[in-house]
Amino acid sequence: MSNEPLGRVVATERRPNTPHEFHFWTALDSPVGIGTIVRVDGSNPVNGQIPRVYGIVVEGFSYTDLQSPMHDVLGHDGTPGSAGFAVTERAEIRLYSAAVLRQLPDEPLQPVPMGEVHLAGEDDVAVALRMDSYLKEGARTGIPIGVYRAGATDSTIYLDADFLLGPEAAHLNISGMSGLATKTSAVEWLLASVFAHFPEDKGSIAAVCFNVKGPDLCFLDQPGPLDDRDLEPYEKMAVAAKPFDRVRYFAPYTAKGFALNTLRSNEALLDNVTPLTWGLREVLQYAEVLLNRDDIDAKADALIDFIKERVLDRVSDKDNYLSRDHTVQSFADLEDWFRDLLRGLEKSNSDSWRTHHIATIRKVRNRLSNLSTRCAGLVTDSGVVSDLPFGSFEDRMVYVVDVATLEEDAQDLIFARVVSKLREHLERRDLGVKHLIVFVDELNKYAPSDGQDTYVRKMLLDIAERGRYLGLVLFSAQQFRSQVHRRVVGNSGTSLFGRMDADELATPGYSVLSAAIRTKLATLEKGQLMVRHPHFTQPIFVRFPRPAVMLGRVGVEQFPQAVESGLDVALYRALRPLDHSVTLPWVQKLVALYDEAELLKARDATIRARPASVKAYFEAQFRKVIPTEPAVAAAAASREETRAVRTLPIDDPYGF
Amino acid sequence: MNPANSDRGDNELSWPTSTHAARRFIMRALPHASPMDLATGEAEARPRADEPPVLATPSVIEGSALRAIRVAPARGARLESGFLGFLDGAQDVRVVSHADGIPIVWATVSAAIRVRRNRRLTAFPRRAPAISRRYYLPLRYLEELEPAFRNDPRVVDSGRPDASGVIPSRHPAALLDRALQRIQQDREALEQSLTEAWCEEESSPIYVDGSITASATASRSSLAIGVVKSHRTLYAEGDAFRVVVGLDAGERSSVFRVAPRGRHPVASWYVRLRGAAGRDALFGLVRVEAAESDDLTFRADEISRWIIAEGSPLALPDGRWDKMSYGIRDTEEFLRAIS
Repeated sequence: MSNEPLGRVVATERRPNTPHEFHFWTALDSPVGIGTIVRVDGSNPVNGQIPRVYGIVVEGFSYTDLQSPMHDVLGHDGTPGSAGFAVTERAEIRLYSAAVLRQLPDEPLQPVPMGEVHLAGEDDVAVALRMDSYLKEGARTGIPIGVYRAGATDSTIYLDADFLLGPEAAHLNISGMSGLATKTSAVEWLLASVFAHFPEDKGSIAAVCFNVKGPDLCFLDQPGPLDDRDLEPYEKMAVAAKPFDRVRYFAPYTAKGFALNTLRSNEALLDNVTPLTWGLREVLQYAEVLLNRDDIDAKADALIDFIKERVLDRVSDKDNYLSRDHTVQSFADLEDWFRDLLRGLEKSNSDSWRTHHIATIRKVRNRLSNLSTRCAGLVTDSGVVSDLPFGSFEDRMVYVVDVATLEEDAQDLIFARVVSKLREHLERRDLGVKHLIVFVDELNKYAPSDGQDTYVRKMLLDIAERGRYLGLVLFSAQQFRSQVHRRVVGNSGTSLFGRMDADELATPGYSVLSAAIRTKLATLEKGQLMVRHPHFTQPIFVRFPRPAVMLGRVGVEQFPQAVESGLDVALYRALRPLDHSVTLPWVQKLVALYDEAELLKARDATIRARPASVKAYFEAQFRKVIPTEPAVAAAAASREETRAVRTLPIDDPYGF
Repeated sequence: MNPANSDRGDNELSWPTSTHAARRFIMRALPHASPMDLATGEAEARPRADEPPVLATPSVIEGSALRAIRVAPARGARLESGFLGFLDGAQDVRVVSHADGIPIVWATVSAAIRVRRNRRLTAFPRRAPAISRRYYLPLRYLEELEPAFRNDPRVVDSGRPDASGVIPSRHPAALLDRALQRIQQDREALEQSLTEAWCEEESSPIYVDGSITASATASRSSLAIGVVKSHRTLYAEGDAFRVVVGLDAGERSSVFRVAPRGRHPVASWYVRLRGAAGRDALFGLVRVEAAESDDLTFRADEISRWIIAEGSPLALPDGRWDKMSYGIRDTEEFLRAIS
């Protein structure tokens, strides 16, 4: 605690002190600046206690006894250079306004008394920000967010886990200009801090991060360069300066289905990358996300519901219109079902089937069949499902879903389904972890303040308003907070602000901040944040360390994205991380024997099962075919000239 | 003299430190007195008592006749200053009440030294500012005054005979004039004590606002330089008048001796700090007082340049900015803040 006063409280009739604001002057060389936390020691006891007031500097003034600028011009004969030769400098003041953070005693709440102003020490900062209530031994729920620095004070600022991750309050929102290492870096640092400090007695915690742009989150498990200056805050905040050691990546395939559609497709990094593929069932549940109201009217909606309830995964018996029994489990099955039904209707010259008009059936067929095209790579015709490990989420694990290179429809579908599934599992308490952080960047795209209501926005609103009761916590980020739905950002208990655009700061949402604070926000350095948290009555400025993970742009240089190649190479790349005995010639031999669909299906099954013997399992997915020698020889001779051996009909009695 | 200590009496009443307190205080000592309405202008600060303007013949001691001597360029001079300290006094005089027509005068008299370090002015740590708060009352006309109050050393009897033995009449204006004279004497006494202390203890020159002839010590010290802004007595009788009023910016007059009656002789000269074109004749004109010495010309040139240098930054918005140094304005502001 600093004993040397650095200022004195002053108040005049024109500028009085209030219970929430006071003014003080300092020496010209004092270390006080905007955002500095100070302590005022009163001189007269109130109810037997000397009042102590904590405040944060929100405005600063400097002036001299000069009454008019013209006097200075006259005094120096209109020659600015001669001012430096004046034998005396004018009396000058540094006057600051501070917003009250806390008063002790709390009652009676009085205007700030005259008194000495001291730079707040580490203990003062804890009291001023009410951190003392959640840093008590035995009931510690503090999560370090950064370091507050002023003068000789170097104080760790903690967020209260109960107010960051629930149940008291929850959610975190970050705003800041792009490209200034604010949003993504802050989240990466904060996740590391949460994983290191989230109290054990509160249960397990994991994070699902949607990588929505570029390679931002693609290298969380790779180390980034840190120097001694970077390591110091890690040590101070007791967070290990190392990349995340438990990360799993999920990404759909490209439209061709050969390679994963992610910037983390380098062969050296594929061991923790899992394909994300869904079938008809998964997509139909969230058809609303992809089919807007212009596409689907009430009649079409009814038919889709009918298909979901009565057709999907059931045997559709042959009837007057259906020429055979159907078991619909994939888009391919559904297409067969539609084709058979429409052919039957046309043949019998009928215009409806079970009250559904033929035009509606055609429309729904058109829209649903189109889904697998629009979300190619994610949605499979075959119905193969490879998903996040709902039900077996692990503690302190980061699950990254890479949707950066996907079409908007596919992004929305993934986001909607993953979050809905997480919510369902958390409601049933069977996700595998008790608390889950969901990180979404570019929130102004998914939950804009204007535009039509979308399924994704409704879902984000639902998380923001009710997620904390489930342990589902939203960490969101965007460049312009003013363009995000106010209920989403309004429900974020904690808000972080990096460097802001001047136009954004001019919007009404920032009017509560003083002009000096807004100016500081517009000029923040990399690694600096303004923090608002329920325990802090005023925003606080902190510095957070450079994340210990590899930057996305560095990662893509160091681990270049795999070039999408032929089927044989794609299979080799997919299977090789599972078993290093897999060789390209072995794959090429199989490619020569089987067709593309079978090979891809076998690959998906193998990746999903992760068997002990990859080669045996992969080969077991195919029906036995005796290749002819010329075909094998041709495959060995030239991969380019390889042609698959025609597969035998299923009902061929001579096939093996 | 340390008025901070001298103001602490054993009087059971707490000695006032403000005009309002002084009015309340006197109501207990003189219950039948009529308090002045401090909200109106009646109790406003009273100006100092001025002498009538006169012309005096300068006794030139540098050369044979008064002449103009250039010591600095008229404009754009980049001059050094040798002053370390600045000394000034202030008085705040209020009539807080009337007792049977007798004005009850309350005055705060103060003096302080400011020193310059790294081009910034700060309080002089070795000599605290002197502040005195007193009543100035013609006791002979206030017979009913409580004895304890009457005998308090902080009550000055302004009804006593002056040096000529003249007793002021009951005329309120005459009583007020006499009170103002006593207050002015007290202020000069405070200034004098500080000046003498500086001359005895320090080794750098001090800029004294006003005359130094009242003090034998100051008038003989090479450290005390008095700068007189008012020219009620103008040492410019005869041909010297044209020289004095015709001084250009950056010029001084020849040195002459000043020896007022009852005071101590010093060397003196006029310096024009700023050009008076388009202004009155005395614009930017100050009279400098310094101890006589063998190197009068050198000293006068050097001190004149120091004083010209002290004209920047301007002492505006003070009305006397043309003659006042910024250091003196700073000292006045300081006294206003603490008294």
